[in-house]
Amino acid sequence: MPLDAEIYGRREAIAPSLAVSTALHAALVVCVLFLPGVLSHGGENWGNNGSGGESGGAMSAHLVSGIPLPPNPQAKPENVLANESKGLSQSIPAPRAKEDDHAIAIPDRQTKVKPAKEKAATTISGRELPKQKPSIATPTHEQPHEMAKVDNTVPFGAGGPVAGPYTSFQSGGTAGGLKFGEGGNGTFGSRFGWYTDAVARKVHQAWQSEVSPGITSAKRVYILFDISRSGTPSNVRIEQSSGIPALDISAVRTLQRIDTFGPLPREYNGSYVSVEFWFDYRR
Amino acid sequence: MKHRKMKWTLLVLSLAAIVVIGGCKKKQVPSAPPAAPPPPQPRATLSVSPESIDRGGTATLTWSTQDATSVTIDGIGSVQPNGSQQVSPSTSTTYHLTAQGPGGYVDATARLTVVPPPATPPQAAAPEESEDALFAQSVKDIYFDYDRYDLRPGDQATIDADAAFFKAHPSIRFTIEGHCDERGSTDYNLALGDNRANAARDALIKAGVAASQIKVISYGKEKPFCSESTESCWQQNRRDHFVYGQK
Amino acid sequence: MKRFVVLAAVLFALVLPALSQDWIRTGTGVGGEKIRLAVADFKIPSAEADALDKTFNAVLFNDLHQAGIFDMVSKSFYPLAAIGAPADVRLDAWGAPPPNAAMLAFGNLAVRAGTLQVQGWLFDVKNAQNPQVLAKQYRESATDENARLIAHRFADEIIFRLGGGLSGIAETKIYFISSRTGHKEVWAMDYDGAGQHPVTRLGSISLGPRVSPDNSRVAFASFFKGGPNIAMWSLELGRLVQFPSFGGTTLSPAWSSDGTRIAFSSSRSGDPEIYVCDQNGNNLKRLTAYHGPDVSPVWNPKTNAQIAWVSGRTGLPQIYIMDSDGTNVQRVTDQGYAVSPSWSPNGQFLAFAWVRHYGPGAPGASDIYLMDVASRQWVQLTHDGGRNDFPSWSPDGRHIVYQSTRGGSEQIWSMLADGSQQTQLTFTGSNSQPNWSWK
Repeated sequence: MPLDAEIYGRREAIAPSLAVSTALHAALVVCVLFLPGVLSHGGENWGNNGSGGESGGAMSAHLVSGIPLPPNPQAKPENVLANESKGLSQSIPAPRAKEDDHAIAIPDRQTKVKPAKEKAATTISGRELPKQKPSIATPTHEQPHEMAKVDNTVPFGAGGPVAGPYTSFQSGGTAGGLKFGEGGNGTFGSRFGWYTDAVARKVHQAWQSEVSPGITSAKRVYILFDISRSGTPSNVRIEQSSGIPALDISAVRTLQRIDTFGPLPREYNGSYVSVEFWFDYRR
Repeated sequence: MKHRKMKWTLLVLSLAAIVVIGGCKKKQVPSAPPAAPPPPQPRATLSVSPESIDRGGTATLTWSTQDATSVTIDGIGSVQPNGSQQVSPSTSTTYHLTAQGPGGYVDATARLTVVPPPATPPQAAAPEESEDALFAQSVKDIYFDYDRYDLRPGDQATIDADAAFFKAHPSIRFTIEGHCDERGSTDYNLALGDNRANAARDALIKAGVAASQIKVISYGKEKPFCSESTESCWQQNRRDHFVYGQK
Repeated sequence: MKRFVVLAAVLFALVLPALSQDWIRTGTGVGGEKIRLAVADFKIPSAEADALDKTFNAVLFNDLHQAGIFDMVSKSFYPLAAIGAPADVRLDAWGAPPPNAAMLAFGNLAVRAGTLQVQGWLFDVKNAQNPQVLAKQYRESATDENARLIAHRFADEIIFRLGGGLSGIAETKIYFISSRTGHKEVWAMDYDGAGQHPVTRLGSISLGPRVSPDNSRVAFASFFKGGPNIAMWSLELGRLVQFPSFGGTTLSPAWSSDGTRIAFSSSRSGDPEIYVCDQNGNNLKRLTAYHGPDVSPVWNPKTNAQIAWVSGRTGLPQIYIMDSDGTNVQRVTDQGYAVSPSWSPNGQFLAFAWVRHYGPGAPGASDIYLMDVASRQWVQLTHDGGRNDFPSWSPDGRHIVYQSTRGGSEQIWSMLADGSQQTQLTFTGSNSQPNWSWK
């Protein structure tokens, strides 16, 4: 019948592109909806109290850093030199999910890899603890991670003892380092590696992006400060500015926010130790 | 035309279906594997029947417990895990059962109201006793909605009746106990119970009762009248309870 | 084809954040990892000290594991030879895989003439020239309790050294309410749940214990005088001491961190409001004046210039913050049923219990939440069901103790402040309302 034939003809014309379009749309929807279900523990929600304000990764990260706990790694932290996924995480300038206010929060969670030590530790304490999935306060879709290449990195644990007065860390797109020296031979770092580690850890925890999101990169900023006998940082001064006042101020504020690093080691004779602290900021 | 519309409808429907399915799946929360179960927590229920008797009458206290090794009832002593007992108290009593087991400890309560027969005069001249009896007969408790401490419109009649009684017996002093159901937080419920008791107090004073007759106390959720987790029990507990005398 | 490339890119962008490492967690180098700590069993000269040694080792390991800043190397990875003194230690064996330790704690323990003598060292495994970080000696009478005590002290030393100056919590106590004697009384225990013992014996209902910052007194609400009133128990004297009765329903006392003031809720005016008085109950000052229940105040321990509390002035209880003179009232939660605020020692966070969707007929799951006071961002810490309430911060700001019904009965649990390592502390009876001591 002519009517059927006409319709049939129409169907044929539209069918392939319609199918492809449906498939793509469906795949998109499925990915957006299923992925959080697959990857997340469920229920881990980042939110604000609805009074506006960005539900942003930057703010969320800020929340956790106030707790004096090291971040709880689900998997072994990757050595930057041996990072297989470095290429992937670096090269794609993905469209920021941040700009989309309706993006569904994708809680960041790697549930696949759990260090064996963690399992052993929970049973050693004598009671069989329910295996709790640690609820990490993690920022969400924001901040596509870019591991910046950094010079001066002396990866801790990969190789021998911490050599020299240097120590370093990396945080997202930011790299930083500390150099310990005093009016002397600069052996502080090699003698008291555990103390320099603690200082670097604290600085790392305190460092937060107070920098405005508009800043994408800045020259290295050098900051000098002293650690007194009791462990309080003092005399925080900018040795070399990054050129962006906001960044300089946030670096200074990072140090000022720290109450104490812990008293200087007893075996150290000086009354203070001076530290040079540098940041490479890259968002 | 019609077929095109159908296609679009089908498309929309299928997308909607995918969304729904995706949504449903997303809601599943994998639960954390449970720990080795501790010894089960004992459970207990206690009830009394009938709940109100005349003085001199008897009522049957019935209880049942699970996973308990030692069961005691205040005023009776150690009892079997399941059983019943005849009781014949002379005044209203709240029976309190404690069940202890390897998994812990639980308690249950049941209240038996004793109404002295109005005709029988009390023995030694104790006008308080007849007042007590009258009190129990005439003064009704007030009940509240969840998380509310304002009097419900239907309670006004109760307030008026109670106020009439208190005005007629100006020598009677009494206590308003504020209670809350078991949900919610301990501290907040104490404050809420206080608000409930004070709401009744204010209403009574407004109706002409002397403030000196009234004492207010809040028990929050610490002294429930029943312990089941049902709406009817919760409603039972959300109340102002009038008690003769001021301790 | 183009379409597929675009789709792939978009999909990849969505998947990317999940694949990439969280930016807090990254950091090679010493940025953010936990310190890999190995704790060797302390060597004993003879079997006489075996029982104490077992207690000591178990407590030491648990304290360090609970601290939340160490990645404890499992004992099954340790080199076999027992070590008791620096001369026994071969750093290369400890620093290499499988132990791969960054720090090593070891020592020896002996009982001589009824005295328990312990020597402990902390070595930096990566620093062969100058490995010694700590060397300590302890001597107490030889009891099991003292073995625990020395282990706690040594653990605290290690945590203080390596944790950047924050004191450890191994010697802190938790005060709580237990009804296992048939009445709700105030009890106390070590932070790890050991040594549970009653503090009060009043035979009435006691609620909401709060220990003073100098550990000398416990304030709590008690029915022993009729209605709820604040009672003050002296831990030094072992009995109640005088504290005024304010009238009305008075409860939820809260100490300021300098121990000079107490905030509480009282309905002496006919409506529960927040009051402040000094440590002896004098100089009463009223802070709130709004109809509706106001209860559970808590001070900002860093500044003592703010108080957070629970108010039902708009209906369901919500959390508010005001300055400690009663001005500048701000609402902090937007919905649901929020109670029991606890302010973190660094002044930055409020932990509280929240039922986000509260309604009649639905008891709802009450969970512990954390909120950054400045930014009002919050995160949910407990998820596993049951009713979780009454969070209380540890003095190091890394742990939270709370009550939970997740195991079937109301018990006290503790966890790290990021929600991990949830540990049950009490097991018998019904236990609630924990309060972590200040030091």
